[in-house]
Amino acid sequence: MSAEPIIQILVFGLFVGGLYGMAAVGLSLVFGVMNILNTAHGELLMLGGYASFWLFTLWGIDPFVSLLICGPLLFGLGLLLNAGLFRHVSRLDGESKIKNSLLISFGLSLILQNLAIQFWSADERAITTAYSGLGANLLGIAFPFTRLAGLLAALFAILALHLFLQRTYVGKAIRATALDWEAAAMAGVDVQRIYAITFALGTALAGIAGTLVSLGYSIAPSIGLAWTLKALIVVVLAGMGGILGALGAGLLLGLAEAISTFAVGPAYREVVGLALFILVLLLRPQGLFKRR
Amino acid sequence: MASVAAALGRWAAPRREIVRPVLVAIAIAAAAVVPLLTSRPDALNMLFLVFLYIALGQSWNILGGFAGQINLGHAAFFGTGALVTRSLWAKGVPFAAAFLAGGLAALIFALVIGVPTFRLRGVYFAMGTLALAEGLYITVGNLLPGISTLPLELIVHYDLGARYYLALALAVATMLAARALLRSRASLGILAVREDEEAAAATGVDPVLHKLLALALSSLFAGLAGGAFAYHEVSYYPNNPFNLVWGFDAIVIAFVGGVGTLIGPVIGAVFYTLVREELALTLVQAHQEIFGLLFIGVVLLLPGGLVDAWGRVRRAMRRTPRGS
Amino acid sequence: MLTVHELDASHGDLQALWQVSLTVEDGEIVALLGPNGAGKTTLLRTIAGVHRPTAGHIMLHGNPIDQLPPHRIVEAGVVLVPEGRRLFSTMTVLENLEMGAYTGRARKERAQTLRSVYDTFPILAERHGQLAASLSGGQQQMLAIGRALMALPRLLLLDEPSLGLAPLVVQSIFDVIGTLNRRGVTVLLVEQNAYMALEVAAHAYVMEQGRIAAYGSGDELLRDDRIRQAYLGYGPAEAATL
Repeated sequence: MSAEPIIQILVFGLFVGGLYGMAAVGLSLVFGVMNILNTAHGELLMLGGYASFWLFTLWGIDPFVSLLICGPLLFGLGLLLNAGLFRHVSRLDGESKIKNSLLISFGLSLILQNLAIQFWSADERAITTAYSGLGANLLGIAFPFTRLAGLLAALFAILALHLFLQRTYVGKAIRATALDWEAAAMAGVDVQRIYAITFALGTALAGIAGTLVSLGYSIAPSIGLAWTLKALIVVVLAGMGGILGALGAGLLLGLAEAISTFAVGPAYREVVGLALFILVLLLRPQGLFKRR
Repeated sequence: MASVAAALGRWAAPRREIVRPVLVAIAIAAAAVVPLLTSRPDALNMLFLVFLYIALGQSWNILGGFAGQINLGHAAFFGTGALVTRSLWAKGVPFAAAFLAGGLAALIFALVIGVPTFRLRGVYFAMGTLALAEGLYITVGNLLPGISTLPLELIVHYDLGARYYLALALAVATMLAARALLRSRASLGILAVREDEEAAAATGVDPVLHKLLALALSSLFAGLAGGAFAYHEVSYYPNNPFNLVWGFDAIVIAFVGGVGTLIGPVIGAVFYTLVREELALTLVQAHQEIFGLLFIGVVLLLPGGLVDAWGRVRRAMRRTPRGS
Repeated sequence: MLTVHELDASHGDLQALWQVSLTVEDGEIVALLGPNGAGKTTLLRTIAGVHRPTAGHIMLHGNPIDQLPPHRIVEAGVVLVPEGRRLFSTMTVLENLEMGAYTGRARKERAQTLRSVYDTFPILAERHGQLAASLSGGQQQMLAIGRALMALPRLLLLDEPSLGLAPLVVQSIFDVIGTLNRRGVTVLLVEQNAYMALEVAAHAYVMEQGRIAAYGSGDELLRDDRIRQAYLGYGPAEAATL
């Protein structure tokens, strides 16, 4: 058996892994800073995908260009959702906060998913551009432009996020709030405002991931749960690794899934990730996010 | 959570000892009489669904409401019960045995996963159960892709009344089990674990044991509900009862009705089924959105659900002086 | 400058502060003494806005600040250096200091303030690129104070600055406090080490079980045997050996 099909599958694993990382960074950011687990994260990703899909279908806007529209659009949605829902639990402490945010986002995911079914039907959609079928061919390995560009876009976005958090004043304030929100408040940081920005940012990042998914793969109202789980798996794998850790863990997951298809076949691809997730959860019982 | 405990206390208040059982008996008797008055399949099927949801919602409530462990993968128990019951029954095992085996299978499965996963803190338990249920759904879908249809002789002798009474009996049994749990010595330990697991452990309560007890009852009745589903449906895809939505419906029903209370899931189940039937003709998906909104509303504003809302209305009415 | 009037505060169902009233005049150093659990930290945190009072008022120059969020209280010039320092451990010394200047007023003068903080604490300039977690206890305390100074405080709240530090380091910290005060910063100081506190403070309040138990000048409190034994812990002979 030649090496090419194997390498091809691994390359595709990397492509999807980049998206896994992209899907995870928003969730990781929100959980790390606000101590909120947004189980509707996948639905926000789905909305981003649909936004790009309609921008493309109705007005012919290229998906990568639509990122400039979808990003701010979902940022705004995130501000609304935070102001309307999650702000009310931000004053709770520890267990209660996580539990309530889990429940609220669960309700939100039900609403968003069913609104999507109502407005756009349950059918699968995908963006097919002029270049969708094209790709580069290196040493017999296919590199479809859509997937390649998707990976590059994800890398770029994550790197930009990393620099934002490391170099800008607001970014540092976000990091400080994640480390110790009381100390940040005592230093003069408007913590509620940081929370709003963080949640909006997380939503925008989910939306960007959604755009990339709708271009390289497909979207439907029901994909939310699967992507929330993917993001969760990556976040748990990455542990304290932060944003870059999430990217790395995403790529790793994509590769691991690809490799596993040789053993168990493509039908169990998702199950491998879920099994890995449960294993990591069980083998690190002291908790992966060391909250003070 | 404080209002939930208060609601709980009100339901168990001794002076209502006479009124409540009588009302309950009347309700059950009325439900039992329905198939004698009508044989319309749509009415009987709808009530079947109500009873099924009562059992499903209450079974989730035992673990999620009483013990405070949010289980997002409740469908796994429902599905396991359905799978085992259906498989045995279709092969000729008498239904009663298949039914009990289904419940038992769900119970054993739950205990096997419960022992390791209960080491996880709350939110990780929720994530773990979610992943487990999703994994199970996909796996069953892969292993049993073909539709499951009852053998011809079972279809020919299909008696909707029997299904109806089974579901009614199951709903009553689940309620009795929940009530028994609340009145048992273990209830204090379970509620203590819900409020603060570490504090409970510090006072000598074994959290794992109490959580396992709640999990055992929760999974048993969810599995039996799955068995009832397998009994009722002529044909369905084997992975259907593993669909996570079954678990999500249970959560919504429990919360909207009044999580942590005894009667909450009943109210939630009735309300849910009614709204769904009402809207089924006009806006098909709307009932999910409405319940999603109600759910969020309950979590944010009214933790005691409709039970608590009703209680508040009554208290407000009592405060209004007569003749004003 | 700061008036606390009949303040009540609770931790959940447990009341921690009972009708606490105190005053800090402009330019003073006031000490807040008392045993562990007396509520001193709770009081400072409530003044800083991190904890909500259940009754009473806190006035700064006559304006109520008790319902303001913490960052607005910082903007008004009241800055808390919390117990245990609460530094951003995986951020550098410089980044920690930068965080202190987050409010509008302080942000404008950030560069200048930074230079003055480096003057006051040269060791911070030396280690500006190091992670806060890698500093010694005394250096961390200096960083915590430096971070607070970046906010241009008019009233500095210090919670146990000497905790866990060697005597020489404690002395240098208190020297800095004295210098800051001479430059016009009012100080409210919570201290276990009553004698050190009374060396710099003109007046002191003594708290016990959530209430103000005594008030007076340093001399008055030291001379009162009852208070000395009940609250200040050590006799002067023992204190000299600390």
